[in-house]
Amino acid sequence: MRYAFYPGCVAKGGCPELYPAAIKVAEKLGIELFEMKDVGCTGAGVLSREVSDPINARTLAKAEAMGLPIMTICSTCQGCLMQANHRLVIDPEYRAKINREYLAEEGLEYRGTTDVKHFLWVLDEDYGLDKLQEMVVNPLEELNVAAFYGCYLRRPPEVVVPKGKESRKVSLENAIKALGGNVVATKGKGKCCGFPILYPNERNSLEMCGTHTLEAKDKGADAMVTPCPLCHLELDGTQSRAEQHKGKKINLPVLHLPQLVGLALGFSPKEMEMQRHLVSTAPVEEKAKRKAEV
Amino acid sequence: MQVNLNVRRYDPVSNGNGSRQTYSVEVEEQSTVLDVLIQVRDEQDATLSFRGSCRTGFCGDCTMRVNGKAKWACRMPVSKAQVDGEITLDPPRLVKGLKDLVYDQEEFLFDKYAATKPWIEPSPPGPTEEHIVSQEKIKELQEASSCTLCGMCDEGCTVLIIDKSFLGPAALTRAFKPVADPRDKVIERRLSELSEKRGMWDCVHCFEATEHCPKGIDPTDRILSLRDEAIKRGIGTPRVVRHNDSFAKSIKSSGWLDEARLAIESEGLTNIGGLMHLVPTAAKAMAHRKAPLPYLHKKRPGSKHIKRIFEKWEKDSK
Amino acid sequence: MSAALSAREQGASVCIVTKQHPLRSHSSGAQSGINAGLRGADAWESHGMDTVKAGAYLSDQDVVENICQEAAARVIALEHMGVPFDRNGDGRIDQIKFPASSEARTCYCSDATGHNILQTLYEQVLRMQIPVHHDCSAVSLIMMDDGTCQGVFARSLRDGSLIAFSSGSVVLATGGMGRMYLDNTASTASTGDGMAMAYRAGAALRDMEMVQFAPTALAPNGILITAAARGEGAVLVGSNDAQLDSLAGSDAVSQAVARELANGDVRLDFKGVDSERLSETRLLIKDLAGIDISKDSVSVRSVMHRPIGGIKIDGSGSTGVAGLYAAGECANSGLNGANRLGGNALLESVVVGRKAGESAAGHAGSVGPAPDLVSHQADEERKVAAIVARGKNGESSGLIRRELASLMQESVGIFRNGSGLSEAAAKLATLKVRCGAVGVNGPASGYSTEIDSIIELGNMLDVAEVIAASALAREESRGSHARTDFPNRDDENWLKHTVARGSGDGVKLDYEPVTVTRWKPEGSS
Repeated sequence: MRYAFYPGCVAKGGCPELYPAAIKVAEKLGIELFEMKDVGCTGAGVLSREVSDPINARTLAKAEAMGLPIMTICSTCQGCLMQANHRLVIDPEYRAKINREYLAEEGLEYRGTTDVKHFLWVLDEDYGLDKLQEMVVNPLEELNVAAFYGCYLRRPPEVVVPKGKESRKVSLENAIKALGGNVVATKGKGKCCGFPILYPNERNSLEMCGTHTLEAKDKGADAMVTPCPLCHLELDGTQSRAEQHKGKKINLPVLHLPQLVGLALGFSPKEMEMQRHLVSTAPVEEKAKRKAEV
Repeated sequence: MQVNLNVRRYDPVSNGNGSRQTYSVEVEEQSTVLDVLIQVRDEQDATLSFRGSCRTGFCGDCTMRVNGKAKWACRMPVSKAQVDGEITLDPPRLVKGLKDLVYDQEEFLFDKYAATKPWIEPSPPGPTEEHIVSQEKIKELQEASSCTLCGMCDEGCTVLIIDKSFLGPAALTRAFKPVADPRDKVIERRLSELSEKRGMWDCVHCFEATEHCPKGIDPTDRILSLRDEAIKRGIGTPRVVRHNDSFAKSIKSSGWLDEARLAIESEGLTNIGGLMHLVPTAAKAMAHRKAPLPYLHKKRPGSKHIKRIFEKWEKDSK
Repeated sequence: MSAALSAREQGASVCIVTKQHPLRSHSSGAQSGINAGLRGADAWESHGMDTVKAGAYLSDQDVVENICQEAAARVIALEHMGVPFDRNGDGRIDQIKFPASSEARTCYCSDATGHNILQTLYEQVLRMQIPVHHDCSAVSLIMMDDGTCQGVFARSLRDGSLIAFSSGSVVLATGGMGRMYLDNTASTASTGDGMAMAYRAGAALRDMEMVQFAPTALAPNGILITAAARGEGAVLVGSNDAQLDSLAGSDAVSQAVARELANGDVRLDFKGVDSERLSETRLLIKDLAGIDISKDSVSVRSVMHRPIGGIKIDGSGSTGVAGLYAAGECANSGLNGANRLGGNALLESVVVGRKAGESAAGHAGSVGPAPDLVSHQADEERKVAAIVARGKNGESSGLIRRELASLMQESVGIFRNGSGLSEAAAKLATLKVRCGAVGVNGPASGYSTEIDSIIELGNMLDVAEVIAASALAREESRGSHARTDFPNRDDENWLKHTVARGSGDGVKLDYEPVTVTRWKPEGSS
């Protein structure tokens, strides 16, 4: 299994623990990653799509030239790349215009054949969750985990959940189960974390962060897992401010998906760089470790 | 066929807490949920109140929750709506109920729509010719204006759940039309007004609105298009403009995002209060070696091409 | 809203009183288009001729000339307000050829023309800051002793209170009365309120026997498929796979479909039609019939569509009752004769609406101070109190409406005959008596629609009585009025308008000549 690997900015920036965790886990699973180093940011819904579409077309064209599908480890990167890809694939005229005006100068052309997959979907659809289960050496049997998808792995459905791929709607829960963990069902799992409005409207952003983490906590979650580092920045990074905003203690560890997989594959919390989180992951480590010693 | 309609009853005067009532009705196979409601009111219970006008999906009046999910009652055949012989009907979640399935559309939709000042200023009287507009542009305007203000997108909105003052995707989708309209002369004023608090920058672009829109208008995309227009013209609240500028500069210069720089520049380099606000989180993040350090931000190998793309776009959009 | 805008432009102080929010009004369902001879100074002429022919020569031709000449300016004005009309390759307003039209002159916004015009007019109402009192049902006109109209009484749905809107003049734009037919394309609000109020206030209803049926309603839902579908090339196919003439006027096609249905199924086939042009229609049929029109044809039938008759108005929109004006579907301007040309309904609404608004503003300026309405108000409140006082008694407005609807469909429907119409008139009288006995079952608190339903039923019965009487009297077939016992058009005796007024003992019918200017009646047999 080989992928052109698009790590995204945040996995090396705001969440520096994500990149090494993902690399280690992929290696252990035998997923070969060829990192795309000379590509740009997807725009993350902040850049105008008039400029992010050409940048994304360039990324897609480079993967096409490598003859590989792209793997991402960020819901937002995944969504932005995929939405751009959708626009470029359904409208050949638009694609030709972008090729002509932006990519030709570099000798690139995007023909519209690149598939973009998040690590979660790679596990579910390409690797197989049953095979993942076989690789588990440290089943997370005592861990109650709430899933938090991030918007862009769920919507817009006609782009990210095409016919025949309905399992994507429950893939994160299925992954938790495959790793031996217990799923804590929440209403907020598919909602927005609040990160996109942290600057424009901090109050609303913290309200969202607080609502989602409290809901999971109240329903007995030991941790939350997310495939999106931007959600992580919000749910982990602003959780203390959300506590102040809500006037309640929350203290819910939030794990990146590769970290959760890594723990089940036998990596130590240190190897998964969980010490970098702002909310202490000690309770998770406790439950995961005890299991490993048995 | 036989259906059981399980309806929320509510009357602020006589039944303040609300209750549920089930009506058993023999209906024609092809009836819609709205047809059945009319039938119940005609035949069984004249006190049942609900809204619904055109019966065909053009007026947006009959939005209600059918088995928990917001739908147009007029476009929902009972044969599809039935779950174990029953159809449950409730008003949308985010509205003020008035009676039974009737709710306050004014506060939920119409006032916000009006607040976006959606009209274009017509030319002085007496024009004899239409404007020359491309059919492509007209299609874009028609798609936006096909919105019926039915409120389904607002019902799905993740921001409105926590902040009812947000204009919401319905009003913002309608606001997109005059902004996209080449006949309009005050686009920059519109974008500035839509940038005020509770406006377009409060949207989290979670695409819930898009998923909920029964017309396939893609309200989230409309809001992003409003923002694209605003970004192009440097319009937004000061924080938003700083954030967007910094984001774009970072990507333009290095190909990827410099988050430390983004955080500082978004607060504004002269905004001491805002910068101090960052300190506790930043200090904690540094201590955990979580935060990226600005001096480590290096250019990516392909950055000159990203820069070229940026410069071309900036030139073209002028 | 056209009337409100033009009255406001004249400097009048205006408000809109409506039982539904303007954006929910039934114009949103008028998908098809708006006619205007845009190109060339005499483009209006063929439009006029098509209108008169479609109307089976019962149109007043002076009115036809005025409206068709005004059409281009009104469409251009709408375009300048922001209506996104479809364009041709030159970026100018595109026009298509509608059924029964000799030229391509229908301007359109995809298949949601009414919706777009409605939205745009409402935007302008917001711009002009015209107050809109919605959820407010007009129940009667405020009539002074000298016979002038000085406002309306309306029931607020919010709290059930009666509100007096005192004004120098009133424009009725209350729409049709389709809910009195079992299968109809009308909105739930189309209960003939304005017609009934005006009739009771002494205004005349004209040509009420002319009821337009639409040939392409979704069977069995009865939901309209726009006439634009036939304009775009969809064809009607009968039971023996024979094609019907799909491009004739709506009267002829509806009657042909109704006749063919006696033999079996009639289907509308979209083969070769660009379904992108009918995107709303495609969705509608997909949702309600589960059929993809790009693959399959759909079963259709004729159902009641709109009134052609209505409150009689002159060229200024005046009803003849001082201070009372009317426009749109509730009015009869004389444009449509015995049958409406597709694409003329929206046009008539905006042109006549504008005129009525201007005239009403002018009249209001000459009216003195607001009258004392205490005794009027008390009278109106007593009427509502009487309904409430009757209480729960087993009689129900909903059941009576259903009986009315079946009766109208059966006996005053697409085909009528003398004996059926006489019976209908007798049955309507008994339904009226029963309606007078209906009481309420629950508290008349906010947003209870019980009292409104009873008032609406009363309105429908008054109007139905006029339709039945007018139809019984007209012993010929013309346009949408098809008498099986008098199957031919009879210009010698019946080239005249039916004018109905209320009197102590029922409907009083008079006749008025049709104005003929340049198009001499032909084709009578």
